[in-house]
Amino acid sequence: MGPFSLSEWVGEFTDPRKRLFWGYLASAVFLAWLWSLRHPTLPRLWQRDVWFSASARADLKLFIINKVLFFWLRPNLLTQSAVALGVYLFLIGQVNSAGVLASSVPPLGRALLFTLVLFVIDDFSRFWVHLLMHRVSFLWAFHRVHHSAEVLNPMTVLRTHPVEGVLFTFRSVLVQGTVVACALWLFGNDLQLQTIMGANVFVFVFHAFGSNLRHSPVPIWYPAWLERWLLSPAQHQLHHSRLPEHYDKNMGVVLACWDRCFGTWHVSDRSPIPVGVNDQLPDEHQLGRLLLHPFERIVSAIRRRIHQRGKFKKFSEKGLQHEL
Amino acid sequence: MKKTILTSMIALFAAQAAADSYLDFPVTLKDYEGDKESSVSYTGQSARHVLHDSLKAAVGQVSFGDEAANLELMNRYFSETGTDRAVLSPVSSAGFEVTPDVVSAISGGKNLADKAYKGAVPAWPGYLNGEQVLADMIARAARTEGGFDPVTGHDYQQLISKFAMGAVFYNQAVDNYLDELLAEDVKPNDQAYSDGAAYTGKEHVWDEAFGYFGAPADVLNMSAQDVYDIAKKNADIAERADVNGNGSVDLHGEMAYAHAYYAAGFDKGGKTNYLHTIAQAFYDGRDVIRKAKGDTLSKRERNKLYDYADVIAANWELVLAEAAFKYAGSTYSDIEKLNIILEADGNAAEAYRTYAKHWGELKGFAMALQVGGRDLGETAFELNSLIGFSPVLPGDSQVVGIDADGEMVQRKTKTLAEYQADMVRVQALLAANFDLQAKSNDVTASMTELLEQLNSGGSVEND
Repeated sequence: MGPFSLSEWVGEFTDPRKRLFWGYLASAVFLAWLWSLRHPTLPRLWQRDVWFSASARADLKLFIINKVLFFWLRPNLLTQSAVALGVYLFLIGQVNSAGVLASSVPPLGRALLFTLVLFVIDDFSRFWVHLLMHRVSFLWAFHRVHHSAEVLNPMTVLRTHPVEGVLFTFRSVLVQGTVVACALWLFGNDLQLQTIMGANVFVFVFHAFGSNLRHSPVPIWYPAWLERWLLSPAQHQLHHSRLPEHYDKNMGVVLACWDRCFGTWHVSDRSPIPVGVNDQLPDEHQLGRLLLHPFERIVSAIRRRIHQRGKFKKFSEKGLQHEL
Repeated sequence: MKKTILTSMIALFAAQAAADSYLDFPVTLKDYEGDKESSVSYTGQSARHVLHDSLKAAVGQVSFGDEAANLELMNRYFSETGTDRAVLSPVSSAGFEVTPDVVSAISGGKNLADKAYKGAVPAWPGYLNGEQVLADMIARAARTEGGFDPVTGHDYQQLISKFAMGAVFYNQAVDNYLDELLAEDVKPNDQAYSDGAAYTGKEHVWDEAFGYFGAPADVLNMSAQDVYDIAKKNADIAERADVNGNGSVDLHGEMAYAHAYYAAGFDKGGKTNYLHTIAQAFYDGRDVIRKAKGDTLSKRERNKLYDYADVIAANWELVLAEAAFKYAGSTYSDIEKLNIILEADGNAAEAYRTYAKHWGELKGFAMALQVGGRDLGETAFELNSLIGFSPVLPGDSQVVGIDADGEMVQRKTKTLAEYQADMVRVQALLAANFDLQAKSNDVTASMTELLEQLNSGGSVEND
């Protein structure tokens, strides 16, 4: 088993816990086809540039680079079990009440509650980290790589700069480790995750109903009332829009409530949207550029500020990405 | 890599049936003129197993207020070598006859004290060596009722038993017989072990190590469940255990003891194969010696023996680590139960007794783990720091050392809740430092399982 073994790569498409599981892709294709029957004038999934353009090829390059890089990197990063154990030890060391709620909630209730809470907290943390990626200038430098995609297809979900990948790993590890530890402390050892085909039931439903179309040219929208609660693929496509009025909108993954709370929610625009970044570079999709450009931007921004003001400017100013 | 392959091969062969009994290795000693057909002899080790079992029973029999008699009773099985020592355990029970009923009928002049580890044991207060630690525990047990000191939470029956198994059997086998005594110039194979013996130097060295493991000689033809049942004196296994068909289970060659019993206990769960891996390595190593036909062992043959010895030592160590892991989990659960009773102002006497018993087993195995001749370094230090010199009592106090009179000194150290968390740390420490597979009573099993379910191998999915 190594980063170059076939199973490692095939596993990316055969594990129902991953978004690119073949079953989810198949359901996305099916939904896109149904949508095209109803809206024949809208863009379709099967367009040559969606899959074979320089932008699409760049998605693939980053997927391969990250896959190999993280095979070695991940074991050396913070692990879920270390976080979970640390949090659990802290909790039982403070208040010796492991499993204190076990008897007051039936097993199915415990499982559902745990699964739901994990899903909600995970969804919020994704939103919040995403918000930071947009609002903190040096983070935007890395997240911009994802937004530099000029066409969207399901592989774009893995168009991620490795530095951003490390941050995502930390987020996942901290959230899952902490929630699992807290749940075990509250409910005791007899705790199950509610799953379908091994995936969290809520995550499964999200993916089974076309999560892969979020990164696609097919603008599937929901009724307006539903888009207030669940983000439609079209709302995420709007998030990738080049149009200034769409900047920093719809940061959420599944639930729309976070965007509404933070003032970043936007109803879907039911027409094709130009995607990408406005300061697109001519060689934007070359691998070297994708990997190194974020650092160049950060260094030049720092130099500029030192030169202009003689001191560092606060890095958390809203909208700094467009300056950087 | 070499050892991994060897271990795998041993495990593979261990699964095959119809091996000869370990007692059937023939005489290879040149110029032997006696009438013995088998060159296998480890009666001294069987006697020590019986002494250990009897010592454990003796500790359970001590009565408060009769210190001198208590000491005499326990030392009869620890340090004395008299010929009139009755077997206290294992004794015959309904449907499970054992013979003999005196220790000297197995082997005379044996004791545990002389063979106990002579190195320092920092896991017990007082800077003592292994033999002194056991003597100290016996002296303290003599002042209790049934070997239990409710003031400190020490269950000496468990402490003495579990540590003695390590300090005598494990230490003698892996740090003496399977180590120094395998050297070229020690106990050579072309000479009798002693005048008139039917076995060569190396044959007897190897057999004595096998004897200390505690498995029945026919172990390779038995399942782990069989061996476990024999140690438990289950009437249903008596006939199977009686390999020579003399109508009773012989305490030498047919009974199961000590770490072989614990190995079988883990293996019957199906996740491990310690018993047969160790037994097969003993058997195969012995076969290397047999094939030398009484000649000096070549370098290649001795290297093979060292490889088998490594397999034995590594798996034996795992059995001890698995046991410590298991009892850390029991102790964790005991604290939880104890707390519930204490918070409800209930009678916690029984729960406290169970807590002390499991702690004694944890401590004994953790101490045993440290006397195999391998320096566990930081792991041993952390293990001893976490477990301490005694369980933490409901008043948050714990034994922290001894005073000038040798009495245990107790101080407030940590809360029961913190100590409960330490039991999780003990399990995590053991799991991180030993390749444990059985992991009985794993406190964080659910955590591992849930995290495994959530862990999709990681991805850098973006939004």
